[in-house]
Amino acid sequence: MSESTDRGAGTGVISSPPATDEAAITADVRHTARRRKTLVWAARLATLVVVIGGWQLLSDAKIVDRFFWGQPSGIVAQLNDWVRHGTAYGSIWLQIWTTFKEALLGFVFGVTAGVIVGVALGQFRFFAEVLSPYIKIANAIPRIVLGSLFTVALGLGIAAKVSLAAVLVFFVVFFNAFQGVREVDRNLLNNARVLGASRGAVTRHVVVPSALTWIIASLHVAFGLAIIGAIVGEFLGSQHGLGLVIATAQNNFNPDGVFAAMFIIAVLALTAEGLIGLLERRLLSWRPPSPAEAAEAGV
Amino acid sequence: MASTFTGRRRAVHKAHDAAQIELTGVSKRFVTPSGTLFTALRDFDLAIGPGKFCAVVGPTGCGKSTTLTMVAGLDRPSAGVVRVGGRPVDGITPGTSFMFQVDSLLPWKTVLGNVALGPVFRGVPKKAAQAAARQWVRRVGLAGFEDHHPHQLSGGMRKRVSLAAALINEPSILLMDEPFGALDVQTKAIMSNELLGLWEQTRPSVIFVTHDLEEAIALADQVVVMTAGPGTVKAVYDIDLPRPRGAVQEIRFQPRFLELHHQIWASLREEVEAAYVRTVQGGRS
Repeated sequence: MSESTDRGAGTGVISSPPATDEAAITADVRHTARRRKTLVWAARLATLVVVIGGWQLLSDAKIVDRFFWGQPSGIVAQLNDWVRHGTAYGSIWLQIWTTFKEALLGFVFGVTAGVIVGVALGQFRFFAEVLSPYIKIANAIPRIVLGSLFTVALGLGIAAKVSLAAVLVFFVVFFNAFQGVREVDRNLLNNARVLGASRGAVTRHVVVPSALTWIIASLHVAFGLAIIGAIVGEFLGSQHGLGLVIATAQNNFNPDGVFAAMFIIAVLALTAEGLIGLLERRLLSWRPPSPAEAAEAGV
Repeated sequence: MASTFTGRRRAVHKAHDAAQIELTGVSKRFVTPSGTLFTALRDFDLAIGPGKFCAVVGPTGCGKSTTLTMVAGLDRPSAGVVRVGGRPVDGITPGTSFMFQVDSLLPWKTVLGNVALGPVFRGVPKKAAQAAARQWVRRVGLAGFEDHHPHQLSGGMRKRVSLAAALINEPSILLMDEPFGALDVQTKAIMSNELLGLWEQTRPSVIFVTHDLEEAIALADQVVVMTAGPGTVKAVYDIDLPRPRGAVQEIRFQPRFLELHHQIWASLREEVEAAYVRTVQGGRS
């Protein structure tokens, strides 16, 4: 006993006497974990205060021109004004709902098409080879420009924005689904075939679940793109939506308005991200915990 | 309970009795990615009687695994014929189960779901498939682990699941490609005993590919020694150790076992050495 304390003191690694019973060890580990968590949150808060506070102070001191770059207090005032008095195009909630609806519909259509086409082409080599140069070309086109086309063809309504969002989402999901299908373990495929699985059964039981890891990874990026599609579509011409609110703020030299709308969009995107995270955890619950998660549990 | 289920299934699906496997003059050539022609098997002749346990040993890269994939119908011979139950193999051979060296369990399915795959693929209703799977999970000693996912199990337990998944279809042919190769020695011995026990109940024809000669002799009726690639049959030894064999850990001390081991090893050693010399030279050039 005395030997071990000596060694601890000598190296300076063990500051408190080593815990002897299990309860003490677990309590110790838990205590360390809690302290770490508090520290992380405190540092996060400090970062926020420094950035926002610095911005506010610098613009108050006229080092940063608030006419061009806005000011946190101005942004808060703008948000407050929107909530109380609405925007020039109706209540702020209507604008948020419009943008969200467009992004969501575009997301759903884009993901559905991307998964179906990706899984199909991933399995039929011939078609994949025939279509691959065209897909590459389509991917190289700056697709955001399609927004102009959609606005002309589909008008100022929701259809143009949904189309643009769907096109942006489609390619990301498609490439992931396609790659995911290509990466399916050959042993799993052979095993299913030997067990008597039909082509459809192989797709349903082996290919799609295996590609799901890839597909779900793409959804995180995809929802961000759906929002971008909706906002850009609204920029190009619309009657409602956050994109229109931003365009108006830009034309009125109102940087606070641009930032305020940006803030709302960020909240929207984070909420969606959280929901996709939940979906991911649910669909991929079979996965072993990643090394990082496992390490955290051990802290 | 087992018999009623089997009876019901037999009514729907034709019963698979153990089948004779014949490979006649089989050759298999591949074109390597660099464009050269590689002969994996050459003039391979082998006949395995119904219900026989045949172990195939040979040096690395002599085409042992290729033989299995051709019997399963996953691959076609470049020349020669593979016959199962008298009929040439054309497409996936019905009534076959395959156990690979690496896990072929679906990581997103539970133990029960994995074992039930065979019946599900053959169109057995989900309830009946799960009931059968539950029985097989119990038979391989994993009762209580039905709802675990493969990553939560040890290597030996995963092999048990693979074994149950392979045997639930009551295959007439069981193809095993170094199934216990990745296990530690003790677990391997346990799994070998388990395999023998289950095989003796259902008696499918088995082709068991392995590097381990002791394992081959302890398990099989027949040990096939293959030449260094291009692989062909060098010699076939009948293993006349009585069945049931009992524990594989103990059988290896019997005089007859040692005698056979000596005899077969002498034959195998030449090929292993030839293959080794070739890889060393290949590495140098």
